[in-house]
Amino acid sequence: MTAGRPGLRLARLYLASRRIPAALAVIAACAVALRIALYWPWNTYGALQLPLIIEAGCAAAIAITTACPFGESERATGRWLPFLRLGTVAALTAAATGALVAAATGMHLAGGALETVRNLVGLTGIGLLCGAVLGGALAWTGPMTYLIVGVYALYTQWHGPALTTPWIWPARPGPDIGAAICAGLVFAAGLAIITVRGARDPVGG
Amino acid sequence: MSATPHAVVSGAIRLLRLELRRNPMLWMLPLIAALFWIVVYRRSMALAPSWSLRATTMQTGIVSVFVPTVAGAAAWMGSREGRHGLVDLLTCTAQPRWARQLAGWAATTGWAIAAYIVCVGVLYAATGRQATWGGPLWWPAAVGVASVPAFAALGYAAGALRPSRFTAPLVAMAAFFGLEISAQFIHGNDSYWQVSPLVAGPWNLGRSEDLATFYPYLPDLPRIQIIFLAGLTAALLGIMGVPAGSGGRWLRRFAVGITTIGLLSAGTATALAGTGRLDAHGMIAVPAVHDASDDLPATYTPVCGTAAIPICVHPAYAAYLPAITDALKPVLEQIAGLPGAPDRLSQAAAIYRQQSGNGIAVGRAGPAVTGTPPVFHLLLPIQFPGPALTATQLATALRTDTARAIVSAVISSDRALGPAQQAVADGILGLYAAEPDDPVGAAARRFAALTAEGRRTWLMENLAALRAGQVTLHQLP
Repeated sequence: MTAGRPGLRLARLYLASRRIPAALAVIAACAVALRIALYWPWNTYGALQLPLIIEAGCAAAIAITTACPFGESERATGRWLPFLRLGTVAALTAAATGALVAAATGMHLAGGALETVRNLVGLTGIGLLCGAVLGGALAWTGPMTYLIVGVYALYTQWHGPALTTPWIWPARPGPDIGAAICAGLVFAAGLAIITVRGARDPVGG
Repeated sequence: MSATPHAVVSGAIRLLRLELRRNPMLWMLPLIAALFWIVVYRRSMALAPSWSLRATTMQTGIVSVFVPTVAGAAAWMGSREGRHGLVDLLTCTAQPRWARQLAGWAATTGWAIAAYIVCVGVLYAATGRQATWGGPLWWPAAVGVASVPAFAALGYAAGALRPSRFTAPLVAMAAFFGLEISAQFIHGNDSYWQVSPLVAGPWNLGRSEDLATFYPYLPDLPRIQIIFLAGLTAALLGIMGVPAGSGGRWLRRFAVGITTIGLLSAGTATALAGTGRLDAHGMIAVPAVHDASDDLPATYTPVCGTAAIPICVHPAYAAYLPAITDALKPVLEQIAGLPGAPDRLSQAAAIYRQQSGNGIAVGRAGPAVTGTPPVFHLLLPIQFPGPALTATQLATALRTDTARAIVSAVISSDRALGPAQQAVADGILGLYAAEPDDPVGAAARRFAALTAEGRRTWLMENLAALRAGQVTLHQLP
């Protein structure tokens, strides 16, 4: 038996316990949905809403994978858990970003790839923070709530008074530095908390 | 031995009470309150205190807030037994599975409706304190109420049939996606997609204070939407009772019946939504459910302001009267008492005509001047759909567009003004071209340079000829 075998087995079991295959399937489904939807002619508002809703779906799927089915007993198992949490969330976020950008390749995606990355990263950060507070199983409520606020902020661009704070980044253009910093900060905070402490729930849902 | 009816009822009430106490919707209430404040309350309160404007805006916003939250919470509840692996364990309980599911759905719906009523109550109470005319419009609120059980049933059914930790977020996002995107497919006034509870009137009309002021609110579309949502609720609740293990044979047959009736109702409502047409008063009329008494004008006592020519507006616009009077006062002082000048300015209702796609033309119903003594029928800038006007924008629009319409009606018998009429109108309004080689502008400047008394004297002597188009630019003083 090689030394790498237990490590691989640990990773595989961790991924299975977090429903990572299902999360990847959801991300793939979101990417396919985006690709199909982009063939449709959207008006300006709809074209901005569409990727945001898809991004929120991906972010919710990523955030849900933080739910731990073992609770305290798993926390006592060893020092690899934070690295597994960090690696999983980072890899899923990268996979979701890649899938959505790839799905939009060759099509007109309102806001462009930059905005997609920013929104997805920020929404995932909200989901991770929500997971740390409410528990992984209910972490989806964060991206969903932010989605409603984000869609409303887009609406206010046409029907003022416009919401222009960078903390509501979906309403800001892709190259906006302030919005990117806010989304990045939220993601960094969420990732750090989830890496160190994990999601709140002792028994997953 | 079968249970007595009393035992069945008390058992159901106990089950419902348990579900109410352990319902995730309870934890969603602060979230709903925050979203309601950001998305609905702030936006509605920023609008003019008109019942129709705020109620229709509220319908669109509040449905967007409640649908994903309720669908998500209900899906979470619906997937509970499956997620915890309790489906087999619970088959031996006294209540059939369908009854347990209905209790969970009822609890989720109950909390959501309670929250909805509080939200609407807060907004309507605030509007009631500010509105100068009319009363609460209950139809837009009723559509929102009907959306709650429908989307709770959607979430619950999805959770029960596909129990997974991913079901709740996916259902919430899908419900929101479906709702928001449904509006994309509305083209014209006869679109089937108007059945969506998001639609509170002609789509893309924009904000219009004129709706449901001169004529009552037309409840045709809300009626159709409520039938659709009730049908959808019945169909989705019925579907949960169809699978084997949901209950006994008769219960499952009953569920099939409920599903069929629900689908037929929802389908009929959708078909009826496709027969809608924009009526002259800016609302969607559906012939099959239309009540002719809704076409009668609303009764009201106009509110009049004191100016050289009295200005009377609908009481819903009473708050604007001082601004209207101030803006029109300089012009009215110049034309008051002239032959053919109006004796009174009375606000008119707007008339709406559907154009291609989602375009809607808005104009004045009837001629500008009628009766003896003449009454000028005023269409205010705020009666046109569009973004809300600031006080400055309103004053500017009144001084230019509205005042020009009044002056034009006095100095011309035709809609199109001749050069001399144009110059006189520009001179009275003080709005003329700056270019020195523009003959109309030059004449207007000459006319404006006269004293008010001088302009008035000239008009008294020459108005008949001016109206007939017999005055040239050179004949102007």
